[in-house]
Amino acid sequence: MSEPLLSVEGLYTNYGKIQILRDVSLTVGAGEVVALLGLNGAGKTTTMRSIIGLTPPRAGRVRYGGRDITRWPAYKVARLGVGYVPEGRRMFRDLTTLENLQLAENGRGGAWTIARVLEQLPKLGELRGRKSGRLSGGEQEMLSIGRALVSNPTLLLVDEPSQGLAPLIVEDVYRILRELKATGVAILLVEQNALLALHIADRAYVMDSGRIVHGGPAAELAADRNRIRTLMGLDAAVG
Amino acid sequence: MFHDLAPQLFNGLVLGAFYAIVAIGLSLIMNLTGTINMAHGSFMTLAGYLAYSLVLRGTSFWFALIAAPLIAVIVGIAVERTLVRPLYRREPFYSLLMTFGLSLMAEEIFRLIWGPNGVPFSAPAALSGAASLGFMTFPTFRIFIVVVLVITISALAFFLTRTRFGLRLRAAVQDTEMIAALGTNTQVLYAVNFGLGIFLAGIAGVLAAGMLGLSPTSGNALLMPAFVTVIIGGMGSLFGSIVGGLLIGIAISMTTLFIPAASEVSMYVLMAIVLSVRPRGLFGEEGIFG
Ligand SMILES: Nc1ncnc2c1ncn2[C@@H]1O[C@H](COP(=O)(O)OP(=O)(O)O)[C@@H](O)[C@H]1O
Ligand SMILES: [Mg+2]
Repeated sequence: MSEPLLSVEGLYTNYGKIQILRDVSLTVGAGEVVALLGLNGAGKTTTMRSIIGLTPPRAGRVRYGGRDITRWPAYKVARLGVGYVPEGRRMFRDLTTLENLQLAENGRGGAWTIARVLEQLPKLGELRGRKSGRLSGGEQEMLSIGRALVSNPTLLLVDEPSQGLAPLIVEDVYRILRELKATGVAILLVEQNALLALHIADRAYVMDSGRIVHGGPAAELAADRNRIRTLMGLDAAVG
Repeated sequence: MFHDLAPQLFNGLVLGAFYAIVAIGLSLIMNLTGTINMAHGSFMTLAGYLAYSLVLRGTSFWFALIAAPLIAVIVGIAVERTLVRPLYRREPFYSLLMTFGLSLMAEEIFRLIWGPNGVPFSAPAALSGAASLGFMTFPTFRIFIVVVLVITISALAFFLTRTRFGLRLRAAVQDTEMIAALGTNTQVLYAVNFGLGIFLAGIAGVLAAGMLGLSPTSGNALLMPAFVTVIIGGMGSLFGSIVGGLLIGIAISMTTLFIPAASEVSMYVLMAIVLSVRPRGLFGEEGIFG
């Protein structure tokens, strides 16, 4: 059996002296979409940051594409084809839409070019000369995804893409994620809205207080609203 | 007194251009890494002395004008990699103290190598005369200084706004984590950026040596006005540093002319006025070159 694209084993991560992650293990297979769910403060963002090296773990291992990338600097992980769409979009606000995209060009080659991203996300094409700080939340989310695409990722880490967006725009965002899935990009998807994420995901994990408390097929969890409610509270099961 | 006005104004602009270029170097380094480089003046002095020694050994002034700043850049990057880099994780206070200590050491080293007194370093013959601008004559060397400083600042603006590397630098100033997550090695950015700041200081150092003299402390004399320039122009704005530098240069030259006793304090008065109206400084809101 071949090794999954990403495998995280027994991750422990601290912020200063405070332990956040405890023994977090998960895998994402090539082309697979995996949802990472949990209440606010459960440790989902910290898990992503630990994987890409922004907050290096104290213990545990991160393997990607057959390599041990534990505590690699973020730029090296990115160059292996791991794209990051962070919580809160993290635009370079004083730079234009186009400049934000240019920053992600890395010479790895692949299907995605700036021209293709602008073609697929025509709204961004219209806004190419505008400072990204002046874009709406939805436009920024598109740009944040577009920026990750320009780097031609094999694995995309997407953190709460629907946060603060109107329902129609959330649909847009998920349409793009679905298209990416269809092209074989693996996605680790963090989302507050559990049902939304479970809809697109193949498998799901649930975190609580820095631990993984559940892992299994997404459809199974989606069908069991009581389970979602016990794992993540009332709100997560609505929608 | 009034027939002195035009030349004195011009002198003020030349002085202001020095402040501006030193301030821009300080700002580059401060904006990206939060490092307040108290040794910036020492790098100016170093470049000045290096140029002096090069010319003494028979190289042309023109060669020295480029080579000396480049050697200072190599020293600067070595300092950044070994001494400044370990302090990036700490509060800015640490690097401020470290670079301050460095500037004191540099001063002693300059004394040991080049002696405690000033050394003569003058402009080449081709630049030593005066040029007539029709209504007035000005020293050719000072006109040359303005030209070189303007070219240098324009080249920097071009580099930051029109090249891929410059784009990465501007982005990193806003969010170093995200630029790393997009595949850029931020350590390379830090080192090159520090080197850029030192290069500007080096060019200014060589030119200032020819105009203001060269002694172990001569660079440090420009450091305080450069800090005031950054504050007046607004933190983070390179354009603000240009305007701020010129304003201070003019303020100093005008007070020297009309109220000589007040020339030393005039920039602080200017700073107090600007800050009382705009606490962020003149252009301290947007990103660099925003
Ligand atoms: N920079 C930080 N410093 C200290 N604690 C943090 C920091 N970032 C997050 N935390 C804490 O770590 C825990 C997990 O946060 P996070 O991973 O952001 O959770 P989630 O993304 O699941 O909402 C929370 O208790 C949060 O308060
Ligand atoms: Mg989060």
